[in-house]
Amino acid sequence: MEKIIQHLQGTFDVKVVKKQRDDLYFVTVGKEQAIPAVTYLRDAEGFTHLVMITVADWMEKGVFELNYIVHNYELHADISICTNINREEATMHSAHHLWEQAWTYQRELKEMYGIDFPGSPRVDESFNLEGWDNIPPMRREFDTLKYANETYFPRPGRETHDPAAYMKQKLYPDE
Amino acid sequence: MSAPSWFPWLPVHLRSNDNFEEMSMKIKDIITPFSAWSNIVKKPVTVKDPFSERPGADRYRGFHKNDVEACIGCGSCEAVCENQAIDLVPVDGIETKKGDSGLRPLVDYGRCCWCALCVDICTTGSLTMSNEYTWISDDPEDFRFIPGVDKKPWDNSEKGWTNPGYSLYNPDRVEMEEIEPDARITSFIEIVKGYSKEQAEKEADRCVSCGICVASCPAHMDIPGYIKAIRDGDLEKGLQLLYDTNPLPEICGRVCTHRCEEVCSVGVKGDALAIRWLKRYIADNVPFEDYKRILGLDSLPEAKKHIAIIGAGPSGISAAYYLRTMGYRVTIFEAKEHPGGATMYGIPKYRLPMDMLEKEIGLLEEMGVQFQFNTMIGREVKFDELYAAYDAVFMGIGFEKPYLIAIEGEEGPGSIQAIDFLREVNEGKKPELGHHVAVIGGGNVAMDAARVSRRLGAEVTVLYRRRIVDMPSDPEEIEGCEQEGIHIEPQTIPTRIIKDKTGKVTGIEYLMAEMVDDPKGRRPKPVPIEGSENVLEVSTVIGAIGQEGYYDFLGTDWLEKLKIERGRVVTNEHRQTSIERLFAGGDSVNKTADAISAIADGHTAARGIDALLNKNN
Repeated sequence: MEKIIQHLQGTFDVKVVKKQRDDLYFVTVGKEQAIPAVTYLRDAEGFTHLVMITVADWMEKGVFELNYIVHNYELHADISICTNINREEATMHSAHHLWEQAWTYQRELKEMYGIDFPGSPRVDESFNLEGWDNIPPMRREFDTLKYANETYFPRPGRETHDPAAYMKQKLYPDE
Repeated sequence: MSAPSWFPWLPVHLRSNDNFEEMSMKIKDIITPFSAWSNIVKKPVTVKDPFSERPGADRYRGFHKNDVEACIGCGSCEAVCENQAIDLVPVDGIETKKGDSGLRPLVDYGRCCWCALCVDICTTGSLTMSNEYTWISDDPEDFRFIPGVDKKPWDNSEKGWTNPGYSLYNPDRVEMEEIEPDARITSFIEIVKGYSKEQAEKEADRCVSCGICVASCPAHMDIPGYIKAIRDGDLEKGLQLLYDTNPLPEICGRVCTHRCEEVCSVGVKGDALAIRWLKRYIADNVPFEDYKRILGLDSLPEAKKHIAIIGAGPSGISAAYYLRTMGYRVTIFEAKEHPGGATMYGIPKYRLPMDMLEKEIGLLEEMGVQFQFNTMIGREVKFDELYAAYDAVFMGIGFEKPYLIAIEGEEGPGSIQAIDFLREVNEGKKPELGHHVAVIGGGNVAMDAARVSRRLGAEVTVLYRRRIVDMPSDPEEIEGCEQEGIHIEPQTIPTRIIKDKTGKVTGIEYLMAEMVDDPKGRRPKPVPIEGSENVLEVSTVIGAIGQEGYYDFLGTDWLEKLKIERGRVVTNEHRQTSIERLFAGGDSVNKTADAISAIADGHTAARGIDALLNKNN
């Protein structure tokens, strides 16, 4: 694996390498180099299986961190190619030409985070959220609690207690 | 390319050349499913009964479990739930007490999304999830239950989701910088440096705002509120919240017994919030000249009735502050030259610098509170006169009379009482101690006397009759003693102070003690071991085994009317004594004998006085 990482570093402008385990590395590259890097891993280093495409929302940094996790069956090892994209103009090159199933992940990411993958088949169709009319729900600015309260009615008779107020009532009601 | 003629059943539009490619795909789609028939004779890969044969993964997030004995009902699970799926509810048999709200989480599985944030934030680690995810009931209400209370088949499941070791809050306290021990013992410079803005905000960020601490604070300060104010960078709001219940935050921010921290929910698995230091941070960082504006004291209500306060200690100052904000005229009578009581005369300056006290007293003076120093009730002014001249009297006189050790040689030079010794040092005197001091006792006063003696250049040994673990002193005081080279000799019972022919103290004789279990279940008793006499060569013995109240100044008639039990004045919940217009608080009333309890007493009494005088109107 270390040799493969060295090859990656020699070929691409690798910004960060994080070794999670002997068989799992996270390699961060720029946006324009992410798809070339996974292409290289697939075609030159035997990482033929796309495990998943996933994303972390770093709202404070203003970026989405995309992760392309690919697997090498011979080495039984994974590499995640990571790249940060602008959160406000969230667009990324499609990877569906590398793995056909990539468009499914990309369609899901469009729906859940609002990240666009121009050219990815059916990317604008609903994935899970038919009829969704709010901001993408996995973006961190989405107020889940507010949505839950507005959408789902409370059960009759529900009651809760604030611990401090309840303790006052029980332990020192007159103070 | 033309459409094959062997598809006469195709619609006309698909027979054209343009649609031939599309037509081909349709044929493939039609034929492909039939290939699945080839599996009809193979063994199925599905299971007949998915409920009994498909257990969740070992770390699956299934129905909740809760160890209700470990749970303290802090409500962090409810607060973090993004679906409002958790309610905190009372449970039969679980008592509300300090450190435990008595409430437990009830989960509504109609709303739960199984995200496990509630488990990950749980401050005690009591809330977990089993890996059970299948359960059938016809009654929707069955899917609302209190894990750990409403018994379920998965309660004893070993598998499921537990916090994997990370925290959603930082379990480690922001370290407080202190003066190094070697540097400390050469002066009375304040040991604790205080938090910077960055440190305070980082520490405040660890608070989960559960409010469990509030009940344990004698003054019931809005601790989550003022910690939030620090997080928000709004120190003016923080100061207002402090003064709502405590007009001596500079003092409490330094020397409070911080019982709030003992029950801090974050402290169950990590370090308790540094609540005391955060309070100090607010008080130290708001400019004093802004206090009156921030606290709304620029235009106090018109003075009406006049209240006398005996003693300018924490309880008297507290009562004065709140009475003044209610519009009463207030005069404080103090026997000594300066205000502050035990905080002024008893607490060493390395713990509480003098200017902190002066700042808070200054605020009272600006509010119009009158001080009469060097005025002892019973000496300069008779209690009769006071009671007749004022609408009500608050008595916050502290415990100033030390208990004697009652051993041979205690009288005379070289044998002194800690409370007198500490007062003299705080007054700027430097008592002659000689080379080695023995301090008798294990409370905070004993620790103060020991550490002050060390700063005056003496070797110090603390003799305590029980074990170190039994010492009533704050653990940090014991630690401070050890850091400063003070030797603590536990399980030692002094029997005699040895003097030479000139009457000079030369040593102290003591017996070793063994701890004997009490048959009634109380704490073990120290019993002297026969023949275990030891002599420690010392030049001074300082007694610090406690104090008691002194009420003779009231005069015989009033003393007969005042109900006193075991040396303490008996009051009702308003701190009203058996004499109608006499209220009392502080060490002479409560057993906790700390500043924050005295402050709470003063506040309670102020409300009690207000209620009494308004009722009488």
